[in-house]
Amino acid sequence: MPRSFEGAAVVSALADLAEIGVCAVLSFSLSSSHPGNPSMLFPTVDFAVFFLVVFTGSWLLRPHKIAWRWFILAASCVFYGWWDWNYLMLLFLSIGVNWFLGLAVFRTLTPEGERTNASRWLVRIAVVINLGILGYFKYFDFFVSTITEKMRSIGISVDAPILNIILPIGISFFTFQAISYVIDIGRGQWRKPLTLLDFAVYLSFFAHLVAGPIVRASEFAPQLDEEPDPRYVRSAESFMLIFRGMFKKVVISSFLAVQIVDPVFANPNAYGPLAVLMAIYAYAIQIYADFSGYTDIAIGVALLLGIRFPQNFDSPYIALTLQDFWNRWHMTLSRWLRDYLYIPLGGNRGSKAMMYRNLFLVMIIGGLWHGANWTFVVWGAIHGSYLVAERIVRAKWKGHELGLPPLLVKAMQWFLVFNVVCLAWVFFRATSVDEAFTVLGRLFASHGSTAGVSLLLMVVIVASIASQFVPSRFPQKAEVWFATWAPALQIAALAGGLVLVDALGPEGIAPFIYFQF
Amino acid sequence: MSPQKKTSGERSPFNWRSLFESFRPRREGTMPAGLILVVIVLAFCVAGLLDADSTLRKSNAKGDGIRNEIAKTVASVTDALHINFFRNSIDDALGKNQGTKVDVEELLRQQAEAETAAAAEAAKKIPELTAPTPAEPMKIWVGGDSITQTFGTSFQRITQSTGIFTPTLDYHVSTGLARPDYFNWPEHLVKDVLPANPAILVIMFGANDGQNMVDANNKVLERYSEPWMTEYRRRVAATMDLLKSPDNQRITIWCGPPPMGPGTKTHGMDQLNYIYWSEAQTRPWIQYFDTWPFFSDSNGMFAANLPNADGVVRGMRQKDNVHLSTVGGDRLSWAVIDRIGKLVNLSAGNVTPPPTQGPPRSVVERTEVPPNMPGAE
Repeated sequence: MPRSFEGAAVVSALADLAEIGVCAVLSFSLSSSHPGNPSMLFPTVDFAVFFLVVFTGSWLLRPHKIAWRWFILAASCVFYGWWDWNYLMLLFLSIGVNWFLGLAVFRTLTPEGERTNASRWLVRIAVVINLGILGYFKYFDFFVSTITEKMRSIGISVDAPILNIILPIGISFFTFQAISYVIDIGRGQWRKPLTLLDFAVYLSFFAHLVAGPIVRASEFAPQLDEEPDPRYVRSAESFMLIFRGMFKKVVISSFLAVQIVDPVFANPNAYGPLAVLMAIYAYAIQIYADFSGYTDIAIGVALLLGIRFPQNFDSPYIALTLQDFWNRWHMTLSRWLRDYLYIPLGGNRGSKAMMYRNLFLVMIIGGLWHGANWTFVVWGAIHGSYLVAERIVRAKWKGHELGLPPLLVKAMQWFLVFNVVCLAWVFFRATSVDEAFTVLGRLFASHGSTAGVSLLLMVVIVASIASQFVPSRFPQKAEVWFATWAPALQIAALAGGLVLVDALGPEGIAPFIYFQF
Repeated sequence: MSPQKKTSGERSPFNWRSLFESFRPRREGTMPAGLILVVIVLAFCVAGLLDADSTLRKSNAKGDGIRNEIAKTVASVTDALHINFFRNSIDDALGKNQGTKVDVEELLRQQAEAETAAAAEAAKKIPELTAPTPAEPMKIWVGGDSITQTFGTSFQRITQSTGIFTPTLDYHVSTGLARPDYFNWPEHLVKDVLPANPAILVIMFGANDGQNMVDANNKVLERYSEPWMTEYRRRVAATMDLLKSPDNQRITIWCGPPPMGPGTKTHGMDQLNYIYWSEAQTRPWIQYFDTWPFFSDSNGMFAANLPNADGVVRGMRQKDNVHLSTVGGDRLSWAVIDRIGKLVNLSAGNVTPPPTQGPPRSVVERTEVPPNMPGAE
């Protein structure tokens, strides 16, 4: 499985750098969980202690397959319930309904696994139920406020209810996983549905539960039956992933947010072109560091338990085309959209116009998946339009030579794609489309503050982009080398890394950006 | 390494000496689960010792019960052994922890020593400030926590556009009155803000103050408990006293935090508002400004989207439902300017809010803040 390495090779770590302490080992208590509690973020002492218990229990119980499944399910419930026990019911509902529908779909297939009318209808029902629940939590208020505003604009005053619905953490992720399971069965790709216990473990597995990666049942379920050898746990790769994830999240993402992104997006009119440009580039790095940092930790944590997740990021900012960018950014969402939306819409089949329409639609829907706001629609539209334009230009200019040195052409391609992605990020980050245009307008202002722009900021931005060009063989070699260190040296490196990240990070840790999706 | 030499990867069962020998994994990049557990636990322990001071600071802020007791014990051990030197040196090098242990009462004592009886008498009525003009603009300072970041930048821009103010913005994220060890606001006000002699200060705290506090006797006070409220009130009152000017020529507009939205970890803002409001009642130089109605619906509940004076509904908050959006910052800025206009003659400036930015006329401060709070009259 290919892996990406963007940062310098460094040793790993596991727990909250912000709060690490021996004391925490002794103070783990489930009773402190109550509605409104902060979720159990990966880089917290709560998670560190939780994970030590799960790690120990998991390897002790691994030979006992049923007991191990129950243990992991219970651990995942604790992890999710830490935020709000009430929403566990929603997770259970999703597990129950989708498992049942998966079974029902399977039973309506022909003995050869071919689709029938009944199976097709059952799959549609499953999709509607899943999207209905997701839609209620995610889009109800957006829908009501949009309708209200439209009616107000034509002179009709409506006092519509805004419910201020709280979005359950991770709902977008586990809903997509559930949909993929039922659809895969409907396509005859599963010759045997999962047991309820296996399906519950798959959907609720804590490492991917709240912010992905979007793991498919076909990738996860076979690993449940394997019995990994506890003598050969991939420690070096896991430590590296976890440490890198924490460094990206706690240090890089937080620094950029506080230093320039939040102030500029909060009040763009106060800033001049340089600060605004830096804020836009900084946000591109911030969201990458935040989200890929989370998935790095998730993948590393799962790997320590002997479960391999698919890769979710592969140095996206080195892409020379937007299509390539989407092969590298949030890869598990990209392939989900491809397999369950783009292909059913017709994909590359049919006329070019239909293909372009499908591409555009998928990006718009992908945008809306991120949230109920017109900003996400515009974000999707920018990506969709550019992807279409890219294909048109490629088809028209195929075989034409510009007469420029290949390296220069590549540099120009990279610059263009990176800036288109950054342009779209402006809409992604802004609270409204108007605000996004205000930010972009300030790029052409004749005056404004440069507060927040510093040499350190520029170094962080440039180094973060440059690190993506580092060939993955270097960090891989570092991993292998690290694995040969004396355990005492590894302990010292891990401890030093934890303290360093804590010191370099801000007081407290903001939630991961992708938790809100 | 010679082939004869045993390495920890080949040893079984585990022995402690193997921790100090280079490791030869039987499969590249792997380690036995048991040894991983030892490595992780020991790494946590070492990091916990090195990081004890930082852990204690955070535990004091939010720790509960035994968690905090253990953090204290570990910190005292590391302090005695000077193990915390490593982490504290990094903090010093990074310029972190600008806070001090100077208590607000100490600052107040120093100020009281310099105060004359005439000044004390003058402070019994609302300061009467000279009306600002474009030729002689008024110095106005706006500061506070991260909510003031948006509000303050809006306020700075808008007050500048009136032509009669010279604004200064001074916000510090993650700060408040609860953690002087992290950032000592009273000291900052006395040493850095007041010497510049602003005629008006606009200040907002509270969003970060819903955390445990440590009192003068190093006792941890559980947030929103009665002792906590008493201590917080003491700090608020003393900070307000610090802002009194000797010639009674300074007004502080003390803005209470707005309601926080669903899904946020910040709550209890109106309990803090009650403290600000009640302490301001006896201090004419402090004018409490009630932001609550400007960011809530007709039932007084949090509202992310609200109409401005032009009737168009706009997003007032950022996605976190805590911080104000630019629109929200503009709205609050005009409301505060309107309030200042009731205390100072601002007729020489352009202080009429555009309907697209200002709140509707029907939105006004509450007469009693907050209603039905114990002790409220």
